[in-house]
Amino acid sequence: MGGKGLRFPKPRRIILYVLLIVFVFLFLLPLWTDFTTSFKSIHDIIYTVPVELPLSPTIEPLITAFNLMERPLLNSLTFTVVAMIFSCLLGSINGYILTKIKFRGSNTVFLLFAIGVFIPYQAVLVPLVLTISQLGLYNTLGGLILTHTAYGITITTLLFRNFYGLLPDSLIMAAKVDGAGTWTIYRRIILPLSLLPFVVAAVFQFTSIWNDFLFGVTLARGSEAMPASVALANLKGTTAFNYNVQMAGALWYALPVLIIYLVLGKYLIRGYMAGAIKG
Amino acid sequence: MESGGDRKGISSFELSPEGLYQNSLWAGQKMRFPFRRVFTRETMVNLLFILPSVVLVGYFVYVLIGWNVVVSVSNWKGLTPSYNFVGFGQYVTLFHDPEFIKSLTNNIILILLFVPTSLGLGLLLAILLDSKVRGEGVFRSIYLLPFSLSFVITATLWAWMYNPDVGVINTLLKAIGLGFLQSGWTTDPSIALYCVILAIIWQFSGYTMLIFLAGIKSIPESQIMAAEVDGATGFNLYRRVVIPQLRTSTLSAFVVLMIFALKVFDFIYVLTGGGPAADATYVVPLKMFIETFLRTNFAYGAAIATILFLIVLAIVVPYLYFFIWGEKD
Repeated sequence: MGGKGLRFPKPRRIILYVLLIVFVFLFLLPLWTDFTTSFKSIHDIIYTVPVELPLSPTIEPLITAFNLMERPLLNSLTFTVVAMIFSCLLGSINGYILTKIKFRGSNTVFLLFAIGVFIPYQAVLVPLVLTISQLGLYNTLGGLILTHTAYGITITTLLFRNFYGLLPDSLIMAAKVDGAGTWTIYRRIILPLSLLPFVVAAVFQFTSIWNDFLFGVTLARGSEAMPASVALANLKGTTAFNYNVQMAGALWYALPVLIIYLVLGKYLIRGYMAGAIKG
Repeated sequence: MESGGDRKGISSFELSPEGLYQNSLWAGQKMRFPFRRVFTRETMVNLLFILPSVVLVGYFVYVLIGWNVVVSVSNWKGLTPSYNFVGFGQYVTLFHDPEFIKSLTNNIILILLFVPTSLGLGLLLAILLDSKVRGEGVFRSIYLLPFSLSFVITATLWAWMYNPDVGVINTLLKAIGLGFLQSGWTTDPSIALYCVILAIIWQFSGYTMLIFLAGIKSIPESQIMAAEVDGATGFNLYRRVVIPQLRTSTLSAFVVLMIFALKVFDFIYVLTGGGPAADATYVVPLKMFIETFLRTNFAYGAAIATILFLIVLAIVVPYLYFFIWGEKD
């Protein structure tokens, strides 16, 4: 796979693989124990070491955790998908206008969007809570959709701009000469070429909105719209539930992202590479 | 502005901005020259396309940041907003608040340990994986996996890892005969912060690995061959040829890690809540959250947020300037 150097002589290659496998253990240890513990009864938790497989596997913890997290998981799924769609569509249009149409100040507009990617959300949190409350959107899915869309646009614009920058200008010029307007060019030429950036942006947005905790805990603590992240934090915070239920809850909450990681991992990586950063 | 809204009229106008004025209300009127140039119909249409986004980002990012600054110089305390200007007193108080000083110190320790270690470990993993490893993709996916997960998940997992009684690390140490290494981990105020740092290094090293791996792969093969002809091998090759060319990758990874380290909140909030011993793992964003939402000191919390914002801005603006206007590279 195009490896560059370190053509280790034989004995050293063994050390190389040993090192790589040791790292595999270190990186997977917390995830492995999550998995094993989710299938353990209280009895097995006491009588086995966490890394061991359960003596008699049970799905009881998974059922208990699911019953506790069903509504929040559904909430998360709803606002994540809707905000993902909005932020991708708007990001695509912005990326197109900022690279292919360009106007006075388009670089400045882009810089202002890009700064938005990096700002610490703490810097907007107090007025954000006020705004969402005044709009009557506190504790609603609508409030989370609006918030995640607004902040999501910054990163999706960056992603689409990077991609559209690679499309040749001649493509647009030809259409312009034929009399196509800005919107027609977008719909007929740009959009059909946008499958890849849409997948990258959608996968990236889905995981980052799904993983969010800060907006959830400040805007939707009530059960009506509580995200799964907040529900899991609550589950972890209460001593009423044993570790097996907490681990099972973590597994449920991780599931959609794990599936995306397994199936669409290479697109997620492209999103990470675009100078992206987790909120 | 224009009377005929049909397609043809619009597009012919787009080809020659002056065209429209001949058929419109503006025909015959003498307009001020620059105004007409800047506000052509095309520009207006383009602005219309990005208007929803400009309004959203403008409001949710910039108006709210400004509003937050206004709150920070007010006397708002308690649940009812109040905007009486009281000056910069909150900022002065901050630097006499032992809890804030502790948060700042912890945050600096976290940056000093987390950023270089993640960079180093990421580089090591990238170099190892670049050595024509069989199953490179599988290793890479495993190392990157923690980065894709929510901090609430990783914090829940590490709480279980660090649990002193039945947790993973202590029981594992006991099982392999290293019981004397057992510790209170996150319940021990003297090491809790380092436990937090270790866990976030675990979560971010795969990300720095990814950045470095991409950087290494973008170095032309011919340069490597030339260096090899000159007799550079193994780690020497990396030190002399590869690593010096990873400057851009290092900068990107550095900025991402720095910004994360400055706004680290979810993970610590869920793992330790700032404890043990009241404030052993306090960091600036956590202090901000606790002051604002648990103690309802809104103006005070807003002042902390403003300081945080200014620090992040000082890192991000030069970085973005470098990337947006220095893109020729």
